[in-house]
Amino acid sequence: MRTIDGVRRSGVGIEPQHTIRDAAAIMEQAGVGSLAVIEGDRLVGIVTDRDLVRRGLARGLPADARVDAVMTAPVVTIDADADLHDAFALFRTHALRRLAVVRGEQFVGMVTVDDLLVDLAADLHDLSRPVSAEVLSAHHDSGLPATT
Amino acid sequence: MHASVGDRIVIRGHRVGDPDRDCELLAVRGKDGEPPYLVRWGDTGHETLFFPGVDATLEHFEHPTA
Repeated sequence: MRTIDGVRRSGVGIEPQHTIRDAAAIMEQAGVGSLAVIEGDRLVGIVTDRDLVRRGLARGLPADARVDAVMTAPVVTIDADADLHDAFALFRTHALRRLAVVRGEQFVGMVTVDDLLVDLAADLHDLSRPVSAEVLSAHHDSGLPATT
Repeated sequence: MHASVGDRIVIRGHRVGDPDRDCELLAVRGKDGEPPYLVRWGDTGHETLFFPGVDATLEHFEHPTA
């Protein structure tokens, strides 16, 4: 399975000169918890709702401060056609909750731990169904075949 | 997804009770109608780049013919 197949949500990108206030409003309007920061065609950072709080509000930055003052850079990325298990390794190595998915240098979306966990939970449920059915349901033997 | 200027993109809510979101497509930045798109979010008027995922659907705007 390719990494791009694990992307469950649309991505939203803003320019570095957007303000922290703009970023918060866009997250609320778009219903997302993170934004890609894009300069020209190039991904230069990621800003999350947590960044706005911890690096912005908690440090007393004004609401009109630029978003590149609180974004995470450089960005840990994964190629859209990479195996999805490569993303698992990156999540583990970097202790991240989301990865930017790229084609070349172009951002195409985000893959998140939350979405992958939901998918895995659904798969585990499917696999456990025959096992739980065997444990919970009474066995009905068909009986020995007639010999006469 | 192949979109045109003026189309509306609707993003379905991800949690029970979450409203759908929508934006207006202002410009196509990819080739042949492909993403990314420059969009405007309705209530606030903010303009951002948009990279549609499986949660997004397109509503085409019928451009009037001359």
